[in-house]
Amino acid sequence: MREILKNMFRRKTRSLLTIFGITIGIFAFTVMGSMAEKINLLVSGGSDYYADKVTVNQGDSLFLSGPMDINKAKEIEQVDGVRAVSASVYTTLSESFDAISFGPPASISGEQLKNRPLESFKISYSQGRQIQEDDKGKVVVGADLVKKLGAKLGSDIKIRGKDYEVVGIMNKTLTAPDSTVIMTLPDAQKIYYGELPEIVQSQTRADKIVNGFTVYPDPGVNPDKLAEKINDRVADIKASGPKAFQDQIANATGIFNAILFGVALISLLVGGLSVINTMTMSISERTREIGIKKALGAKTRNILAEYLTEAGLIGLFGGLLGWGLGALTVLIVNRAMEDSGNIIFLLSARISIFAVLFAVILGIIAGFYPAYHAVKINIVKALRQE
Amino acid sequence: MARHILKMNNLMKTYILGTRKNAKKAQKAIQKLQKKYERQVTKKDAAAATTEAVLKRAQSLFASEKYEQSYQTITGQVLKKRSKDRGAVVHALRGVDLEIKQGELVAIMGPSGSGKSTLLNMLGLLDQPTAGQIFINAKNVASIKKRDLPDIRSNQLGFVFQSFNLVPTLTALENVMLPLKYAGIHLRKRRAMAKQALEQVGLGDRLHHNPGELSGGQQQRVAIARSVVNSPAIIFGDELTGELDSQMTADVMKLVVKLNRGGQTFVIVTHNPEVAKVCRRIIYMRDGKIEKEFNKVTVR
Repeated sequence: MREILKNMFRRKTRSLLTIFGITIGIFAFTVMGSMAEKINLLVSGGSDYYADKVTVNQGDSLFLSGPMDINKAKEIEQVDGVRAVSASVYTTLSESFDAISFGPPASISGEQLKNRPLESFKISYSQGRQIQEDDKGKVVVGADLVKKLGAKLGSDIKIRGKDYEVVGIMNKTLTAPDSTVIMTLPDAQKIYYGELPEIVQSQTRADKIVNGFTVYPDPGVNPDKLAEKINDRVADIKASGPKAFQDQIANATGIFNAILFGVALISLLVGGLSVINTMTMSISERTREIGIKKALGAKTRNILAEYLTEAGLIGLFGGLLGWGLGALTVLIVNRAMEDSGNIIFLLSARISIFAVLFAVILGIIAGFYPAYHAVKINIVKALRQE
Repeated sequence: MARHILKMNNLMKTYILGTRKNAKKAQKAIQKLQKKYERQVTKKDAAAATTEAVLKRAQSLFASEKYEQSYQTITGQVLKKRSKDRGAVVHALRGVDLEIKQGELVAIMGPSGSGKSTLLNMLGLLDQPTAGQIFINAKNVASIKKRDLPDIRSNQLGFVFQSFNLVPTLTALENVMLPLKYAGIHLRKRRAMAKQALEQVGLGDRLHHNPGELSGGQQQRVAIARSVVNSPAIIFGDELTGELDSQMTADVMKLVVKLNRGGQTFVIVTHNPEVAKVCRRIIYMRDGKIEKEFNKVTVR
């Protein structure tokens, strides 16, 4: 091993440049991979949430909905296959949209709690408890918003200029609830009512207006088919099943995965080519040495092992350095974004292990051609080389 | 179990192809491995038949007379080498017959292009003849599989080259350990053996020096230590004093003679009459053939 390390750094600049080439590739892979990991988890959480229910909005968007009369719930309940309907309000935490948001923006959510036992998406709490029907002026805060809102159990936080008592802090779910403040439906309705244009306000009351319904189907009823049925029977609303979420969001993650694949491919090309170049140069400089070793009895596997280990080590050093820089970047950016509750990256163990392994395997594969060339060197010709 | 069989096969190779000393070592190792295997055989019945067959073969070979009869000789019969150099056909060897016996100190002389180095490379199994045959201990080299040649080179043959050919990143000790490493000898043992070989050539105090820190004569002595460390049947020296001054040449040849007196066979290609003078047998080559041969046993 000592000999291999010595050989590697015979031409320090060349080896370091090659290592740096791999470092850049693995750095990009780590950062992009962490971003894709975060998105995939957000989407996976969303898929889990929407899997067994129908969401009803006003308008085509799954997330941005216009106001609806709370009594629409009664019409929806009449549709065959509907087990229960919960009215809800979902709006942004700040009065205007945040300039940049990664994933769902920081939000307020209020929902009728009577159907809570039917909800399959369970949330646990690191502190305090879940919201109750009579928790007027009280909130539960998502894990990513704790710092942004300065939330402490039992203390007040300010939302849209009004104080709310924090009665619970959610555990991290790695999906939408992390950036959500949950309150009672009446409290959320008041906030939402305040956002509406005066002309709409003049025609309704805060307790009459919501912007979404969650529909729980009867056991064995397909939520997508139920959504179609609701759309046929109830006017002026848009019901969507899990398929709509898949179509609108989940499939879009394919783009991120494609970007990740692209980054991996580029790092494969750049890193691989530089390893091939370095190893080929190195072997051509050491032809005589290879001849000596073969004359002294080195077997094919000895020569192959020596050069593949060297190539693998170049990959390992580049991989570790790239992963280290990537992890540092992820850490710094996440720390900086923590205050805004907008966490961009998730550096998982599988991304870390894959990044370093990928670099080592890349090095070995790229080193194979030059190493094979070394094995094939003619001893007599090699010994004659100056 | 597969590892044991592999180890056994390697030991057998050493036994069949190795020097008398190595063969005895191999026999001991085979017996040790056999005992170890016997302890495991009940657990691994599936491989028993194969391993037993290997052991029986090893023992029968050891008992055979063939080994005793073929006593460390290398024979070349009607060796020819034809190659192409920039399109022109070159006959480097045109039918060379010779036999090198154990304990000989042979010099091969002749003008440039006479085929000396080509002959040396063939006898050292670094190159193959276009026609003719080479026998090591009565075994035809052509019958040895290509993948087994490195084992013969690391166990049976030693090489000393004109320009020392030491690996520059390795210390003197590590350079001498190389053939032992390729022969599969354990690190601790090969370190001890390499140290002993370096002490034998008077470089016991230069073990951890890199080649760049040694003089030409010292580097060549390291190369000689490397060639003798595995107790080879024959050491081939290609212009081994070519880059040394007369004093260093004398020192190196003194060492060669000393080792030869201990029974080590040497075949040396040289232009230098001073080097040839200390050799018992001198072969003159010209145009790819042996022109004349002198045996100077009495001069020794």
